[in-house]
Amino acid sequence: MPSHSDADTTASPLESVKHLLRQAWRDLLSVYYANTPIWRLFKSAGLLFFGFFCWSASSLVLSYGIDWTILEYTRAYGFVLILWGPLTHAVIVPLVIRLRRTAEHPVVRAIARNGSKINLSVFLAIVLILGTAPISPMLLDFQSTLENDSGSDVNPDLSCTRSDGVVSCELSESEGVDSVVVISGNNQVTRVEEPPFEFTFREDELEEVVGQKEFVVELRDEDDDTLRRYRRSVASVPEA
Amino acid sequence: MAHTLDVLGLFDNEYRDDGFRTCSVTGLEVHRSVDNYVKLFGLTAVVALLFGGIFAFTVAMTRWEVIGLLEPADFYTHLSMHAWNLLIFWMVFMEIAILYVGGPMVLGRRLPITTVAKAGWAVMVGGAVLVNYAIWTTEPPNEAPLLTAYVPMPVSPLFYAGAIVFILGTVVAALPFFVTMWYEKRENPGKTLPLVSFAAFVTSIIAVEALVGGLFAFVPTLFWRLELIEWWDAAWYRQMYWIIGHGTQQINLVAMIAVWYFLTHVVAGAEVVSEKVSRTAFILYLFFINLGAAHHLLSDPAVSTGWRLWNTSYAFYGATFASLIHAFAIPAGIEAGRRKRGKGGGLFGWLTSAPWSNPVFSSTIFSIILFGFLGGITGVMMGQLQLNMTWHNTFATVGHFHATVVLGTTVAFMGLAFFVIRTMFMRQYISERLASIQPFFYSAAMGVAVLMMMYVGILYGVPRRTAEVVENIPGTEFSLSAAAPLFAIFGIFALLAIAGGVLFVVVAVGSLVFGDRVENGDDNADLVADGGLAMAQDPDDPVHAYEMRGTFVLCLVFLAAFAITYLLNWYLLTQLWSIGA
Repeated sequence: MPSHSDADTTASPLESVKHLLRQAWRDLLSVYYANTPIWRLFKSAGLLFFGFFCWSASSLVLSYGIDWTILEYTRAYGFVLILWGPLTHAVIVPLVIRLRRTAEHPVVRAIARNGSKINLSVFLAIVLILGTAPISPMLLDFQSTLENDSGSDVNPDLSCTRSDGVVSCELSESEGVDSVVVISGNNQVTRVEEPPFEFTFREDELEEVVGQKEFVVELRDEDDDTLRRYRRSVASVPEA
Repeated sequence: MAHTLDVLGLFDNEYRDDGFRTCSVTGLEVHRSVDNYVKLFGLTAVVALLFGGIFAFTVAMTRWEVIGLLEPADFYTHLSMHAWNLLIFWMVFMEIAILYVGGPMVLGRRLPITTVAKAGWAVMVGGAVLVNYAIWTTEPPNEAPLLTAYVPMPVSPLFYAGAIVFILGTVVAALPFFVTMWYEKRENPGKTLPLVSFAAFVTSIIAVEALVGGLFAFVPTLFWRLELIEWWDAAWYRQMYWIIGHGTQQINLVAMIAVWYFLTHVVAGAEVVSEKVSRTAFILYLFFINLGAAHHLLSDPAVSTGWRLWNTSYAFYGATFASLIHAFAIPAGIEAGRRKRGKGGGLFGWLTSAPWSNPVFSSTIFSIILFGFLGGITGVMMGQLQLNMTWHNTFATVGHFHATVVLGTTVAFMGLAFFVIRTMFMRQYISERLASIQPFFYSAAMGVAVLMMMYVGILYGVPRRTAEVVENIPGTEFSLSAAAPLFAIFGIFALLAIAGGVLFVVVAVGSLVFGDRVENGDDNADLVADGGLAMAQDPDDPVHAYEMRGTFVLCLVFLAAFAITYLLNWYLLTQLWSIGA
């Protein structure tokens, strides 16, 4: 037979709200104590994902310079939940349920009776402590490191002109560049080792791709690793 | 009687003289021709999955720069192989199999014009091999195309030829499905199609639209690449390309939802709460889903603001609305169907009492949950003009489509493959336990890997498609090394997810080769929903008389997650622009 809600349809609105809240609390408790393998998995995985979300979202908002204290606590809550959620529902709740049935020692029985409260209290205490005094693993670093010892940014402008079938190029600056290589297709067209890295090559040395002659200029460091690549088609190079 | 091309007994089922057999799980009349071609396309899809999965390893281990497996030049080739084999070949071969399931199998018909189906398969395989060859042998001046061989980037002409051949093969392979629909409607003009067939038909229309778009993109580009025409318009190419580029993913989406309806009904006893509402949602997809492609062009100079607004902030919501309907209708169908079978104690008893050890069921449910929470919500955000700017071309985009295509479609298709192994190949799993564990293991590991992709993209602005960013951006002071801890989590869980994928292939292929044969209906009794499927057709006990409060609560949780994520992204955008500061 179809099941129907047991709420009395003639009850007052206040009674209905009370009933709804009571039912919601009972549902919440039944979900908290649900102890089949699939429920344990659901709750553990759900809280792990929720913890990740709270932690990263709070960290993200904080990284934008929004200095709300509550975010420090939601960040701590999320961070602790990543571990504590699965711990609670995969270990502690099943243990509490088992101890309530089997424990005989009065101390163990007392712990079993209040196990969930103890667990939640410890969890909240850790959240409060970490919210107030965060430890480094929970702090995502959002500052992009400026590696001063690696030298300055290498990003010169490459300007090229062409005249009578010859392409001439130069770099706006040469700092940090050890060599410049011009490539077309699989072939190295020219290589320049000395600053100021002005170089020329003939258009007919270039390979043609889909009707256009194209070349790549690579700036290399002292280990011959590529720092920057510029791709140009001859058609786009202005006449001198 | 064995099939003429039987290999390892895989095409050897018992059929009556008329070529049909009665499926002991679904009760459907299945013709030999349908069985054989579903198997053929399904097996080919798994081969593509295996091949693309190998490149998942090399790609993930390069992006996890602590390993840094490949050089930048090789990385893009591997990434292209990964993308084409998993996003296209694994998906499309499976989708043709799904069309044959949703069409002739559900309608109890034989597959017509099987020679055409065979030819379609051969042409598709030829196209797939050609695309793989073209990508793998890429040499300068050509570039590995990934999925965006944007004009005027030079890409091997063989690649365009292979893509065109594959598209044509897919159209040919889909023809028997359309002929089936034609015969069905001609013989039963006043009868509506079953919901799964209807969904497959909508899928096929979206597929044809996407494939025609692909031909419009690739054919002239091939001519340009062969230098038969001098010039091709880059903006035109991008516009046409994304009809297939994103359209193929919309085929995945609609096919996946068809699979959800089919499998939840068969293995969990789900009923359709409202046929009309579900059908309306599919029709909304028909009109609006392809507009999702617009989000790729939102940073392009070639399209007007009006075009962007129309495609991303108005019409696109038609598709979102459809998805939200399915997001309610499918779990509601499961809840009501299971309550009807007396399996629905409490708020979520219908869900927790479900057959979770059955990999067909668990795959389907994980697909629904993870697609909705991780793929769907982020998809709607990325599809919006303003929020797109914070996601565009970051690693978070990669996280989004792994959430949709891997956690959604691939997981659902894995469930379907598990189902086909038992009901069409008639093989028991080589290990029940491994088969049961696989969906949990794969979905969980991939879920965390996907979250990390989103986080490094959104939190740090880590770009996509690059081999390295954390350790070294050559020649620059700028560094993303702060993202390294999350990349470490990504790397570990990517490895675990790949192990989950390997487990799927081991169980699937191992079962086909070494699994015990399913001899009679009782061997598959564990696949049938509690109480049997016959209960679903009881007119005196309408499904909507059963409460669906569990689904309502789940939808509220989903809505809350949606609202929080949406507001958070908008809030961050306002901060970025300093609005109101």
